[in-house]
Amino acid sequence: MTASHACPLRILTAVPICDGHDSAVTTINIELARHGIEVIYLGYHQPASAIVRAAIQEDANAIGLSSYNGGHIVFFQEVVDQLKTKGGGDIPVFGGGGGTITKADERVMKRQGTDRIFPAGTPLGEIMAVIRREYDRIAKPNTRFRGDRALARAITLAESGPGYRRPLKKSAAPKRGQGGFVIGVAGPGGAGKSTLIDELTSRFLQKNPTGRIAILANDPSHPDTGGAILGDRVSAIYSQDNRVFFRSLATRGNLTGLSAVAPAAIDLLRKSGEFDLILVESVGVGQESDPFRTFGRGPKLVDATLFVLAPHYGGRIQLQKIALLNGADLVALNKCDHPMAHTAKAEIQARLDQNGRNQHLHATTAAKHFDPGVDVLFAAIARLGGLTNSPGGEKPCQLEVSA
Amino acid sequence: MSELGKIADSVDAYNTHVASEVVRARTDARFAAELRERWARIHETVDWTVSPTGTPLPRLALPQTDDPGAIAEYLFGQGLPGEFPYANAAYREMYLDRDSGTGEEPMRLFAGLGLAEDTNARFHYLSSHQKSLRLSTAFDGPTLYGLDSDHEGVLGKVGEGGVAIDTVEDMTRLFAGFDLTRKDASVSMTMNAPAPVILAMFIAAAKRRFGPDCVANLRGTIQADMLKEVQAQNEVIFPIDASLRFLCDMIEWCVPNMPRWYPVSISGYHIAEAGATPVQQAAFTLSNGFTYAGLLKARGADVNGFGPRLSFFLDCGLDVEYLVLGRVCRRIWAIGMKEVFGANAKAQILKLHTQTSGRSLIAAEFQNNLTRTAVELLLSYMNYTNSCHSNSADEPFTTPTEKYATLASHGQSIIMEESGVFKHMMNMFGGAPGLHLLEQQVEKAILDVFREMDTLGGVLAAQEQRYQRSKIQEAGHAYEKQIYAGSRPIIGLNKYKSDEPMPGVPLARTSPRKQRRQVERLRAFKKKHAKKSPAALQKLAQVARSSGNVFGELVHTVEVCSLGQITACLTGVVGKFRPMV
Repeated sequence: MTASHACPLRILTAVPICDGHDSAVTTINIELARHGIEVIYLGYHQPASAIVRAAIQEDANAIGLSSYNGGHIVFFQEVVDQLKTKGGGDIPVFGGGGGTITKADERVMKRQGTDRIFPAGTPLGEIMAVIRREYDRIAKPNTRFRGDRALARAITLAESGPGYRRPLKKSAAPKRGQGGFVIGVAGPGGAGKSTLIDELTSRFLQKNPTGRIAILANDPSHPDTGGAILGDRVSAIYSQDNRVFFRSLATRGNLTGLSAVAPAAIDLLRKSGEFDLILVESVGVGQESDPFRTFGRGPKLVDATLFVLAPHYGGRIQLQKIALLNGADLVALNKCDHPMAHTAKAEIQARLDQNGRNQHLHATTAAKHFDPGVDVLFAAIARLGGLTNSPGGEKPCQLEVSA
Repeated sequence: MSELGKIADSVDAYNTHVASEVVRARTDARFAAELRERWARIHETVDWTVSPTGTPLPRLALPQTDDPGAIAEYLFGQGLPGEFPYANAAYREMYLDRDSGTGEEPMRLFAGLGLAEDTNARFHYLSSHQKSLRLSTAFDGPTLYGLDSDHEGVLGKVGEGGVAIDTVEDMTRLFAGFDLTRKDASVSMTMNAPAPVILAMFIAAAKRRFGPDCVANLRGTIQADMLKEVQAQNEVIFPIDASLRFLCDMIEWCVPNMPRWYPVSISGYHIAEAGATPVQQAAFTLSNGFTYAGLLKARGADVNGFGPRLSFFLDCGLDVEYLVLGRVCRRIWAIGMKEVFGANAKAQILKLHTQTSGRSLIAAEFQNNLTRTAVELLLSYMNYTNSCHSNSADEPFTTPTEKYATLASHGQSIIMEESGVFKHMMNMFGGAPGLHLLEQQVEKAILDVFREMDTLGGVLAAQEQRYQRSKIQEAGHAYEKQIYAGSRPIIGLNKYKSDEPMPGVPLARTSPRKQRRQVERLRAFKKKHAKKSPAALQKLAQVARSSGNVFGELVHTVEVCSLGQITACLTGVVGKFRPMV
């Protein structure tokens, strides 16, 4: 059931702001992935601005919205209008909302620019067929694209193969001669990489009031269908910011822990000169691969690596087998609120000491808000990458008083 | 072992105990005589009544047996209505017509649309169809997410699907003209993440109208069930630990200050609506309830103080398990609370609100929804729910319009007042062999889920591994596939379809003009209190940073601050919730 050409269809799905009804969108996501489509799921309770930003950065073929608690006419219009003003006017918007979206609503919404509404009772198979027929377009270079959209399209073209021709003109002057400090983040699945990355993003935004950060989140494709549910954005609460460029990449059969396009995408991000910090998250890896080739032969993809693990690594012997612990510049033991963390810390430190490289173990609890361990880790990253780490801790109570 | 494993074991142990009592009743002559004597005494207390067509009936139906084993099985295994383990009912006489007219009226009709004055008008309309004062409130999306009506990007959602409440002034408008201190008044609010703020506004509004001493007389329920929000309904603002702290603060404040108020309604409704099977609904709801009990106990609260103030809320759909779901839940809750938490009788009783299934209602040939809801109502009352909401047939399209809200209300009246099914005799169904068999199967399946969660480390640990969410999503997906495959018949959708075009249904929508009016009012409120609100928020933040009771402070904060201002302030202190896929 793989798509007809090299580049699978990429659909961004979301539920509008103030709406938590996600059972329909969950079913749709599963079905889309089963039909070989890459679904970038943004989550529920999403403002129009976040949906538009994500669609542009992900260079989605279309946006699917599932709305169940009213206000859809205004909301869909807002998405369509913002797409137009932000350079994504060519991205079609479709949606559904069971019986809450009436025929009359549908007519109004279509007039306002919504491409299609699937009415209550449309069979799933029909929805899939229509999406594949109507939205499966091969990405082409577009010289009118600017900013994030141009960058996003360049990554898409790199991803689809022959179209990749270093299309960004702005690449002349990368900052600090590097075009951004690139950190590869690896670790076993479930260690909390995504959460830690999002917490680091929040530190970056707080400590560096003007810079931009990019995140490349790699997730596995389904081996049989070729589809994928790329859901990292759901929990990336601090990445909903114009200063963050977030791109989800499906591995599409590449077994190195990264999408095959990751090197080109890193290159494009660097050359754009837009970013101070670029975080590349691998799929869950352990003993079998080194996605960034920090250890052993081959060119290094990144400037530094962060290896993240949780206390459940399975004992001392298992630690010996993790090659990335030899090469990692930074190591974080996450989920330190777990009772096993104390022992884990000692064991991992002992393992690092064998390397004789002065590697420091960072203890973090990323799931805890304002975790001081994450602050320390960010400071270490800032030192390594020469980033701004201005003082000024947690924001005081927000006093919103309008005139 | 987490508490869940202990609870599952205690239910099994109780069943073994019942079985051994049955054997003893059949082998120990003295015990048999005691039981027969008790049985005879129970029979003596049963009054008789006469149906309108002249048939004499006992007011309590008891199994017709003289066998000490059967008596033991009934008395210990199910319990008389109002007696441990409460399978048959929470109270001895629930819906029976009483000459005094003091019977508790179970009907609650959920309403909420537009601005506060629109919902107020609907309340006045609906309450004209009821004997006692029952006001059940649905809130709009921005309110449910703790946002003000002037928050960026929410204008289209203002007053949609529920009422827009930003300030204590809106709350005052919402209940205008109702005497909330009346003995038969009961207010319920479907509100979760911002529940402490909304309840504080309710208290402040009531004080303005009825004076500072009215608080102890206020009766009602606020949902405030954050665990089911994380697992199913997705209206979460603060990180889980902070959400639970704010909830526990509110419960601890309410127990002494609002003795007639239920500060939490532990809800399976949204778990079922999100896709869970009936067994999963029951298992997750009960386990969430036990988790709250554990958290409160760990804070040093007295189980016999907070226990009676916990209430429950289940969905009732058309699957066969719904014949017994309420009965099984009452039994497991009672045994767990007694054996594991050491609760007294009052704290063992699961008080149940039921709502008919929204998910079972469909847009195609929607008049069939009236029948669906009627069947679900019957199942709900067969489970002796303490209160009940019936959905309107037009809900697949719209917030209920007046016409269908009235039909939903009349549906309950037809079952409870017009029909004689529940009027004359209590315990019409308890003890029937089919029900008993189903109860045992459902109970066993619920305990299996408890044990699985126990191996994951309990409810909170399982939740972190998104166990409940995965199970609910899987079940929801399976349900949809059954419908598409036709193996789950839905009349008018995948079976016996007619080709008639869908009739036009009038919609309850909020006009942009009203939405703008709400924003103007909110801005006026903020302007009026611009001098006082910063200090009030600072004080709130200070309490939130310390280990003080946040609810105790919110009661003051809401006098000068809006919902959105308070949410932003608390987010600044405790952070934001990180959603799970």
